[in-house]
Amino acid sequence: MSRRRMRAVVALAGALTLTAGLAACGDGDEGGGGGGKTLNVLIGANTQYPQEFRAWQASISDKFKAQTGASVKFEEFATANDELTKIQTSVVSGTGPDVYAVGTTLTPTAYSTGAFVKLDDERWQKAGGRDRFVPATLGISGPDEQNQVGIPFVSRPFVMVYNTELLKAAGISKPATTWDELRQHAKQLTKGDQHGLAVAYKDNFDPWKFVWGMSVQAGNPLVDGRTARIQDPVVKQAYQTYFGWLTTDKVVDPAAIGWTNAQAIAAFAEGKTGYMALTSTTAAKALDGGKVKGKWSFALLPTVPPGATARPANGVEAASILSGDNLLVADYSKNQDLAFQFVKLITEQDAQLDYYKAVGSLPANAAALTSLQSDQKLVPVAQAAQKSVATPFTGAWADIQLAMTNVVVQSIPDLAKGSVGDAQLDGRLADAQKAAQSALDRAK
Amino acid sequence: MTDDSTATGRRRRGVSARQRPLWLLAPGGVLMTLIIVIPLLLALYISLIDLDQYTLRRWLDAPFIGLSNFTEAFGSGLPHSIWISVSFAVIATAATVPFGIAAAVATQNAYRGRALVRAVFLIPYVLPSFVVATVWRTMLQPDGIVNTVLAKAGVAGGLWLSGPKSYWTLVLVEIWAAWPFIYLMALAGLQSVDHEVYEASAIDGADWWPKLTRVVLPYLRGPVLLACLLATLNHINNFTLPYVLFGAPAPDDVNVMPMIVYVTSFQGLRFGLSAAMAIVSLLLVAIPLFAYLRALRLDVHEDGDRT
Amino acid sequence: MTASGEAHRLLPRPLLAGVTVSLCAMVLVPTLYIVLASLNTDLGVASGEFWPGAFSLDSYSRIWTTADLATGLLNSIVVCALVAVASALLGTMTAYVLVRYTFLGRLTILRGLVGLQSVPGTLMLLPVFVLFSSAGNYLGVTVVGTRWGLFLAYLTFALPFSTWVMVTYLRGLPRELEEAGRMDGASTLRILFRIIVPLSLPAIVVSGIFAFLLGWNDVLFASVLTRPETHTAAVALSAFGATQEGGALPVYSQVMAAALISAAPVVLLYLVFQRYLVGGLTAGGVK
Repeated sequence: MSRRRMRAVVALAGALTLTAGLAACGDGDEGGGGGGKTLNVLIGANTQYPQEFRAWQASISDKFKAQTGASVKFEEFATANDELTKIQTSVVSGTGPDVYAVGTTLTPTAYSTGAFVKLDDERWQKAGGRDRFVPATLGISGPDEQNQVGIPFVSRPFVMVYNTELLKAAGISKPATTWDELRQHAKQLTKGDQHGLAVAYKDNFDPWKFVWGMSVQAGNPLVDGRTARIQDPVVKQAYQTYFGWLTTDKVVDPAAIGWTNAQAIAAFAEGKTGYMALTSTTAAKALDGGKVKGKWSFALLPTVPPGATARPANGVEAASILSGDNLLVADYSKNQDLAFQFVKLITEQDAQLDYYKAVGSLPANAAALTSLQSDQKLVPVAQAAQKSVATPFTGAWADIQLAMTNVVVQSIPDLAKGSVGDAQLDGRLADAQKAAQSALDRAK
Repeated sequence: MTDDSTATGRRRRGVSARQRPLWLLAPGGVLMTLIIVIPLLLALYISLIDLDQYTLRRWLDAPFIGLSNFTEAFGSGLPHSIWISVSFAVIATAATVPFGIAAAVATQNAYRGRALVRAVFLIPYVLPSFVVATVWRTMLQPDGIVNTVLAKAGVAGGLWLSGPKSYWTLVLVEIWAAWPFIYLMALAGLQSVDHEVYEASAIDGADWWPKLTRVVLPYLRGPVLLACLLATLNHINNFTLPYVLFGAPAPDDVNVMPMIVYVTSFQGLRFGLSAAMAIVSLLLVAIPLFAYLRALRLDVHEDGDRT
Repeated sequence: MTASGEAHRLLPRPLLAGVTVSLCAMVLVPTLYIVLASLNTDLGVASGEFWPGAFSLDSYSRIWTTADLATGLLNSIVVCALVAVASALLGTMTAYVLVRYTFLGRLTILRGLVGLQSVPGTLMLLPVFVLFSSAGNYLGVTVVGTRWGLFLAYLTFALPFSTWVMVTYLRGLPRELEEAGRMDGASTLRILFRIIVPLSLPAIVVSGIFAFLLGWNDVLFASVLTRPETHTAAVALSAFGATQEGGALPVYSQVMAAALISAAPVVLLYLVFQRYLVGGLTAGGVK
């Protein structure tokens, strides 16, 4: 009996400890130091350089405290979905972070909620002014100059990476600048167990970026006012080119139909692939960890559409989608002035360069980007940043992007069989057109 | 309510009517009303309004559009998705039952190392879904370990993550991840088997198979049937596994219900429509469930009688 | 073993060995892959290696700084353990009434519980958040971002299931066991805790395990209901799954290492509690 009582006492003690633990962090999370205010900032987690990222957060917090007396608390999100959930719940309830670092493709969605502060001249001044940014990075801050919500934070242009040794061995002196040339190079590079091109057919995002790029270069921006233009010969040719690398040109490893972007990079890092067609500066760490260390270089993506030797008159020199992160201030925030002071602080030249050194994200601040030009490796990337073109600014974009990727997703079994039939492709394009158009019709 | 007036119910009414401690239901009842029922009603309201990214901020003012979301849900790919989800869930449940029962029976008698084996059996259930899916996705790549091994045996593995076979991939991975659930429930059920029952059957000299099927397994009926019900629900609502295995947008063959609800909600940002889809599927799933409950008499008073 | 022990054996020895070995193999092969991948480099995992080219324990030291896994584990253990205990207790109370007494609406409650169990989380997320945040806005009670807010949510989500597990089990308990206590005039609570609970330990442990795992594996609710200092292990884990947009490799080996580390407490807890998973009736002793 005493043993049983003993056990009961232990159990009770355990339960009490746990309950105490439950309450421990219950309150006090509002507590700023000594009556000072706290600014909450939502930003993407960084798993590549976690320690450097934390150190940067700490140093920014210190600087901000010195300037304003308020402290900054960083909250991190893992994925874009995670962030969207956060935005959604915050918007509905009118509570949540004061400042959001939002990916460029998510910015139109965030804008369409109307829950973020629009930037008039006064607010732009508070945030440090438009002039401090690389002009192209402002392309996706809002639907037009009067209605901007996003302040550029970092730039993440897409580029190609190529194996310098393999290209040299194949007698190719400089990387391709047109899609046809890329195909030609890839054919030259493909022999034995060596492949010309690494492409991630099963990635959730890569496919639409290729198709969008080729289409824009051929003069079709995919969205024309309130009309979707996916059922279009130019778009069809883009898909055919993209599929053709695997089915007709046979310059891609057949296993690529199962690859995400990360796996395509891993394949390239093995040193048996000429080009990897869609990546950014963040891949540098992975590449230096592989067999291609010291043998790779970035290059601009081709800017001349497939089947052409020069861009048509209405074609746009789009080297990359305009990619990166924007800073948005929530309109429910009670600390808007502080929020803009914070935005100003982290978009200053020094802070941007510190951030680049910490995690390798390219500055959106023009002076900071210019000062990086001395690094030869970065020249093509900086060029790509300047030649980035914004995807259409509409709340429907997320749906359109999805519809375009879906064409590839549903074609993968055909790819495995070696060819995507014309009728099937037409059918899938029609589906995509329908989905995109109905999303546009709903847009307000 | 007819079930209430079973023989046992009538026999006991004298006692129970006097001192029914119904207040014991209160704590659970309050919690469930507050945190499930009220939000559910709110969700029902959301399904009747045009809530999307444009109206989210002032959601109380979002236009009331009646059943439009529901008609649109039926017009979309939802029926196809429900069919995939339900068939997948039923197959997965049916397949996990033998594994679960076999594992429970095999760890019922004590032997050296049993604790360890029991812990091993728990592993798939304890690993986070997205890790399980990542691992299987990597192993099932076109040039992954599974196809490499199959190739050595002279079999062409082909595509596991796209095309028609992806459906079976989903089923197989779900089985791998979910059978310990049945196992745990069956294990709990086995504990209610009386020692004397074993002894009686041992004295009878019953062989292991008849002993198992006639004496032991009947004790598992309740727990395992309940486990089947809940496992099916879990399979139907499983989002992480298909999402990480196949990505979004998903191949048509595995475009399960949570996937399209998710895509509608988080990529299309049509919260009203996605709530309607979720409610439609909830209803379509709940009706057969109640039929199942009735048919198997899981919800009636048995009062310990096992006849 | 004695002859009687042998007689109670449910399966013949060879079959027992066969079943155990094949089930273990089924579980352990993918698990081995996880272990190997956690010792590999990210590049090695991404390129599909099963056997690492080079072994390294690096990931196991790096996971602690990549995401705040330690805080997450502590929060998860505290919240989930309490959810497990509370839901088992509330579930037993509720189930006892539902099994032993007849009253109007009993069946409706039983069926309603299954109905509640089938509500998908994605449908509930937004409304639950609205509810919790309005408690902060209108009542001045901060719920979002606190551990006890998360505790209440998980406890409630676990209740329908816990109750049903207990209903199924309690139904099998002969009524005579508590009759003696009732004759002595013991209160319902006393009967519940002195007679029913000790006899139901296996089911209580099982329902506790499920309630524990429900909270342990949830990312959806935790990601919006917690703040950095209250986040759970699952949220920290999902951070490892974050892919840096634009071409960086996911930190595969850290994902695997972190998954194994965060599975460990659950397996350990189970090892501790699994001794209660032996015959409740026999262990409790039928008087």
